[in-house]
Parts: sequence; C-alpha cells; structure tokens
Amino acid sequence: MYDLGQYIPGESKIHKLEPRVKLIAVIALSMIILRIGKPGIMLLAVSVILLSMIWLARLPLTQVLFSVKPAMLFFLVLFLLYLFFTPGRPLPLFPLGPVLISYEGLTIGIVQIWKFLLLITAASVLTITTNHAALTGGLERLLRPINIFRVSSHDIAILLGLALRFVPTLQQEMRNVRDAQLARGAKLALHRPAEQIRAVSGLAMPLLLNILRRSDELVDAMEARGYQPGRRSYLYEPELTRGEYIVITTLVILTAAIMIYPVV
Amino acid sequence: MQALIQVNNLIYQYTDGAAVLQDINLTINEGEYLALIGPNGCGKTTLIRHFNALLQPSCGDVMVGGFNTRHAKNKMEIRRLAGMIFQNPENQIVGMTVEEDVAFGPANLGYPTAELRRRVDSALGMTGLQGMEKRTPYTLSGGEKQLLAMAGLLAMEPKLIILDEPTASLDLEGRNKVLGLIKDLHARGIAIIYVTHNLEEAALAERVLVMEKGRIIADDNSANVLSRVEWLQSLGLAPPRITELLWTLQQHGLDLPINLFSIETAGQEIISLFQQTRSK
Repeated sequence: MYDLGQYIPGESKIHKLEPRVKLIAVIALSMIILRIGKPGIMLLAVSVILLSMIWLARLPLTQVLFSVKPAMLFFLVLFLLYLFFTPGRPLPLFPLGPVLISYEGLTIGIVQIWKFLLLITAASVLTITTNHAALTGGLERLLRPINIFRVSSHDIAILLGLALRFVPTLQQEMRNVRDAQLARGAKLALHRPAEQIRAVSGLAMPLLLNILRRSDELVDAMEARGYQPGRRSYLYEPELTRGEYIVITTLVILTAAIMIYPVV
Repeated sequence: MQALIQVNNLIYQYTDGAAVLQDINLTINEGEYLALIGPNGCGKTTLIRHFNALLQPSCGDVMVGGFNTRHAKNKMEIRRLAGMIFQNPENQIVGMTVEEDVAFGPANLGYPTAELRRRVDSALGMTGLQGMEKRTPYTLSGGEKQLLAMAGLLAMEPKLIILDEPTASLDLEGRNKVLGLIKDLHARGIAIIYVTHNLEEAALAERVLVMEKGRIIADDNSANVLSRVEWLQSLGLAPPRITELLWTLQQHGLDLPINLFSIETAGQEIISLFQQTRSK
C-alpha cells in the first residue's frame, strides 16, 4: 500500500522529465486552477491535461485518486457549506422549510471541490513520479536566485531532505514506543475519545524525547562530516537543455497570459 | 613517524566545574591502530570528541595534523583529516540515497561534481557497497548502514578514523564486516582509534589506552595491557575470553603464556604443551 503521494519508481516520460520542469509545470497548473471561477472550458482543459499526464506516466488512475482519500471528509464538509450557504436562485422544489439550496451554491460547490481535486492530483503526479533526491535537488536549483537575498537555497534543500529522510525512521520509532507500551500492558485501542487522547499523549512524550536525542546525534554526525550552513557542491548538477528552457519559458508566458486574460 | 594527534595537558570540565578529563597527555602517530577502553562514564567519548573538534578543551591543547582545535578556522581542515563514526548508524545518515549520503561530506568541502563522483565510487568500492548507489539508506541492514557511514567518511579521504563502539548494535555478520573493513583501512595507512567495551575487539589493535575517571591509566601495546587479567577485572572490564581461559590454566600451574588473543594461537600453545607432557 502506498501512502499519500509516495514515489512509485517508473520509466515513463513523466518520470524521466527534468524535476525543475515538473516543478514549474505544477506551480503553473496550480496558479491556473486557482484562477478558475466558473465551470467551463478552462476547468475541462486542465482536467484533460492532468488525465493525459497520468496516462503518460502510466500510473493507475485508482492509485492517484487514492491519494485524495484522506481529504474526502474535508471536501464533503466544504461542499455542504457551499451548498447550503450560498445565496442565489433556488433549485426546483426549494426552499424546503428553512433549507434552501441555490443553483449558484450547487455550481460553486462542485467547481470548488473539482479545483481541490485537480490541485491534489497535480501535486501527486509530481511526487509519485519524482524521487525525493531529485525533487529536493530540483527545488534547490530553482531556488538558487534567492541566494542573493542571503537566504540559502542549500540550507532549504538540506532541511527538506532531512525531513523527508526521517519520515520512515520516525514511523519506526513510533511503532517501537507503542509496542513497548503495549508490552507493558497499555491499552491503546480505546473507544472513548478522552482515553484515546490520554493514550496518544503517553506516546507523544517518549517519541519527542527520542526525536530530540536523535537530532542531537544527527547534528554531531553532520558537523563531524564538515557540514556548515551555506554553499556546497552536488553529486548531480544537470544543465537544462535547450528544449527544457523552451518548455519552461512557454509555461511561464502561458500562465502569465491566463492570469492577465482569464479564459472561462 | 609524524604525530597525527598531539594532546598536551588536556583538561575538560562541565560548566558546573565537574572535571570529565584530567591531565591527558598523548601522542598518536600516523597509521596507528589504537583501541580506547574503560568502564562507562570514564570519559572515552568526551576524549575522542576533542579529536574531531566537536569539543574544545577547558585547558591545554589538542593538535590534529598540526591544527589546533581551539581555532574555529581550523575546524574544516580537522574534520577532513579526522572522521568520526558513532554507535548508531541510523542517526548518521543524511542522504536520501546511498550515493548522496556518501557525497555529503565531500560536498560540504565543496568538491566539484566529477571529483565527488570519483570519491563516491572509490568509497563504495572500499566498503563493498557498489551496486547499492540508488538504494534508500533506510532499507539497508544494520551492518550495511554502518558500512555506509564509513563510506561517507572515506569519501572525505581522512588520515584518521575514530569509531565510537561501532559494532554495539550490529549482528555477527555486520560486526565482522565492519572489523574487516577497519583492518583493510589500517593496511592502507589510515590511523584508527577504536572505542569499545569489547576487549576481544580491542585485541585487534596494536596499542591500547585504558581510561578511568577521566585519566589515562595505561598506554601500552595490546598484548601487555590485555594480559593483565585481574587488573582489568578490577576495573569492571571483561578480559578477552581466551586470555581469561589461559590465565585460569596458568593459575592451575600449567606453563602457558597468556598474551594470546586468538583461538588458533591459544589452541596451538595448549596442544604443544599437551604433546610435551605426553613425550615426558
């Protein structure tokens, strides 16, 4: 079972695409998606683009949609809020007593949820087809211009890399702490919320201490290997090809144009 | 031979005044294989942290390759010369892939891409990790993780590797691989400082330092130190099993040397003693 947006190795065109191009494409698509206000040609176009990207990446559609699952409850609540609280022309049969569902509420509800789905899908296609090393590497190279403002792109990349690298370690740590408590007779599968909260706080403290101890050792190990904030070199330093420059420029111009003259 | 580490009148104390290290004077030469032993809390880890400039002395000086650890500007040079391996390999891995992790140290030193590649390949070759370049370090075994940590140091091409109980959390296979690699590195002329509780592992070194309560109480070749069975026991250290056996036999009047640490040599001594008695 894969977690939300987890990298799945593959050999497709999308997998092999330069990470900087993918990052810019996702940012551009997200900006365009957020600009959409009404159902229309733009919503349809973006959906088709994303579907064809999934198809090109040879990802099973169910896999991508699965990554949306954790957000489902949030979407439902959001949809209901739009549905019931948007004033406008009532749908046939309404108002039913105090309940009013407007034509506008239904449309905006659907469009907003659709937009969120598109955003999550776009981000998922990026993270599913790009491994962590390539992703942080690409991000670092994209962020290099900010180095002139004395914000270090190298440090950001290291931070992000460490965070991603420690996810499985911390999951393991969590299991260890939980098992140690279960072994001493703790009941963690409780039904009343108050008991659940107490059980979780019992896990949180030892977990936090372990994380702090680990970070301490990690800092020593990093220092011992000559780490210091700021400039460093990289094992991979790919130059963008002419084609990639053209794609990036086109994406930027296209997005700017849509921002300025939105097509519905 | 040139002194790689020179420690003069080192004193280290916590800010509350409690002394952890007292009057340490020590010279370690290039290419030496040295074991540092002593009971828990005797200051072993505190001492070796001075060799990598992770700690600075309260009094006295520590020179690594001629660089004083006191000066911040020497830190990078010292860390390039003296690499350090910690007990838990899990907490030393920084990279998201094996090769990126090995490249971390030399990348900090700013070597260009081609040089990074050469160093990574050479370090992976020495540690036997070639073919695992793209693996996620999390999926490696404990022994492989420790070898990866060592590859990360080797890529910095150090003159000295300091290991703080590197085999403590490893299974037998992982332990043997790490000890085998240390032997190879020593043969290549890299100096080794090996901190351990396990005196059988200490017996692999040429020279053994014994610490107690923040002082060095013995500094001699490994055979001389490790054959002092009763003395080691009085310090709360377990002598190598073979040595203990030979010592017990000697106590019972058998004419056996006790400064032997491998099963093969000890076995041969016992057999030849048997044959001598039988022929008499």
